Amino acid sequence: MTRASADRWEDGAAIQTVELTRRFGSFVAVERVSLRVRRGEVFGLLGPNGAGKTTLIRMLCGLLSPSAGSAFVAGLDVARAGEAVRRRIGYMSQRFSLYPDLTVEENLTFYGGVYGIRGKPLRTRLEEVLAELALGPFRESLARDLPLGYKQRLALGCAMLHEPPILFLDEPTSGVDPRARRSFWDLIHRKAEAGTTLVVTTHYMEEAEYCHRIAIMDSGKVIALGSPTRLKEEHGCESIQQVFLKLLRGDGGSTWQTPRSPSGESGVLGS
Amino acid sequence: MRAVGFLVRKEFQQIRRDRPVLGIIFVVPLLQLLIFANVLTTETKHVKLAVVDLDRSRLSRALATAFSNTDRFRVVGFTTDVAAIPSEMRAWRVQAALVIPPGFQSKLVRGESPALQCLVDGVDGNTAAVALGYAEGILSQFLTEYARREAANAELPEQPIRLEERMLYNPDLSSRQYMIPGLVVALLTIIPMLLTALSFTREREMGTLEQLLVTPLRKHELLAGKLIPYLILSYAELAVVTTAAIVVFRIHVEGSLVLLAGLGLLYLFTTLGLGLFVSTVTESQQQAMFVAYFLIVFMLLMSGFFIPIPNMPLLLKKLTYLDPMRYFMAIVRDVFQKGSSLPSLLPDVLPMTAFGLAIFSLSVLKFRKQLG
Ligand SMILES: Nc1ncnc2c1ncn2[C@@H]1O[C@H](COP(=O)(O)OP(=O)(O)O)[C@@H](O)[C@H]1O
Ligand SMILES: [Mg+2]
Repeated sequence: MTRASADRWEDGAAIQTVELTRRFGSFVAVERVSLRVRRGEVFGLLGPNGAGKTTLIRMLCGLLSPSAGSAFVAGLDVARAGEAVRRRIGYMSQRFSLYPDLTVEENLTFYGGVYGIRGKPLRTRLEEVLAELALGPFRESLARDLPLGYKQRLALGCAMLHEPPILFLDEPTSGVDPRARRSFWDLIHRKAEAGTTLVVTTHYMEEAEYCHRIAIMDSGKVIALGSPTRLKEEHGCESIQQVFLKLLRGDGGSTWQTPRSPSGESGVLGS
Repeated sequence: MRAVGFLVRKEFQQIRRDRPVLGIIFVVPLLQLLIFANVLTTETKHVKLAVVDLDRSRLSRALATAFSNTDRFRVVGFTTDVAAIPSEMRAWRVQAALVIPPGFQSKLVRGESPALQCLVDGVDGNTAAVALGYAEGILSQFLTEYARREAANAELPEQPIRLEERMLYNPDLSSRQYMIPGLVVALLTIIPMLLTALSFTREREMGTLEQLLVTPLRKHELLAGKLIPYLILSYAELAVVTTAAIVVFRIHVEGSLVLLAGLGLLYLFTTLGLGLFVSTVTESQQQAMFVAYFLIVFMLLMSGFFIPIPNMPLLLKKLTYLDPMRYFMAIVRDVFQKGSSLPSLLPDVLPMTAFGLAIFSLSVLKFRKQLG
């Protein structure tokens, strides 16, 4: 398995998975997922709650070990070079997971220190991140007192302080208003333009349009893969939302129900 | 390894803002000191004593007088009916009874050891133990004087060794002198265990542990960064409480404070390890609190802190050997009161060290395995 995957390793790939699988008991949360994410790409993982997005990302970060298959991140086998991989990635978890009782500045300083940055470079980097994420006015605020949108910015800040070439953002825009989501995606694109590879999960289907390429997941499996434009063309649809519905009807095996948008918000899946 | 410094600093930043934890660290020990100094140290005096004189001799009357001449006992009645004592005790009119058997004087004169009986109301175990100690003391003094005065050929009846010990090292049987060193042990158990357990489960509960696990931090750095702050705090606590005990409460320390500090460090392996262990078997801070309290109460009860181990039933007595706190309790009391040195403490130091190493390494292994 490892040999075969090593043979298929291509230059320019930031992430590659081969038949990556994770079981919890007899339940299969992620099933034989094979993906390739190019350097500098914004790669979207879409799917309803429970599709396996978080489980997949946690395996790529080395937080969970795969039941089968393999994962390469930044050219390194996650199973073997966990620590080296962790130096090259940033991870923003689905749940806000910074210290609520530390200030914005203390949180950033702490994560900088943990990643081995200190002294003057740390202070410089701190100012850069505060400016980039417009967190300056909040630097003395406790993380728990921040508005949700700014909490998510702080989480991004802590994940990118050490300038990792690859960033995993798990539902970074969930729960915040459309305007804040929009500006968060602007941040994501600025990072991508600067050469960072980003893997972003979301259950907002319209956010697919912000990604260079997407993988649509359902019940642990990738059911579509490609650029949003190509996927729409292939299926003759107007939106990714429609592609998704079409795929599910064709599949027939899915238990997922037709999503509705009672709030009027377009394309909210799952949740 | 310098990442550990950032972990330690972060921990202190959090502690500074955490009111419950600050309470556990500073208020609880202070309250306990105050309580121990004021409530528990009211010395046992004027124990209500009934004298059951079945001998009615010159010497038996002299012995009764010896008891009534101290402020330790107040003789509330004379009787010749032993059977009347239990009902008097139940009515709280009598706390102790001294039974002088027939033939007391004649046996003493013949140089034999007459048996005396001392009945003590055991409902209040501490008072009972202390009253018995007083009784032994008065008796020994009585016998010594008798021997000196009465006859050169009257052999001195054998004295119990325990008695000598009490008279030497804590002549007033001051419970303050006895209890406050125990408090030091209790604090070196409660603080590290509770805080370590809570701080790990809090990180797990809040998801911050997951965030730490995607950093290049190694597991031993993570552990060190967590345990060092609580080691420092526990040490500060030890210093503050010991200083307060000596300066404010006038507790006399016979032994070496350096030895105390060194052995305290050894004991902290046990309690920090237990805290870590608790965090690996619990999911939430609430659960951790519950499990930690359960362990702490068990350890306190079995340590001889409240209930003297010699007063325990055999089964419980055996159970105390499983309590690592038991050994440190004995060590601290010996160092405070007897000024014992390391060699004489070894029978307690060795099992304590074994417990510490075993608990600490098991918890570390379990913790690492859990993080996968
Ligand atoms: N630790 C776990 N133990 C058991 N089941 C899990 C665990 N983590 C996730 N799952 C299950 O795996 C499935 C996928 O979960 P997840 O990856 O979180 O989905 P998503 O992020 O797409 O919402 C869900 O059905 C979830 O209940
Ligand atoms: Mg998820």
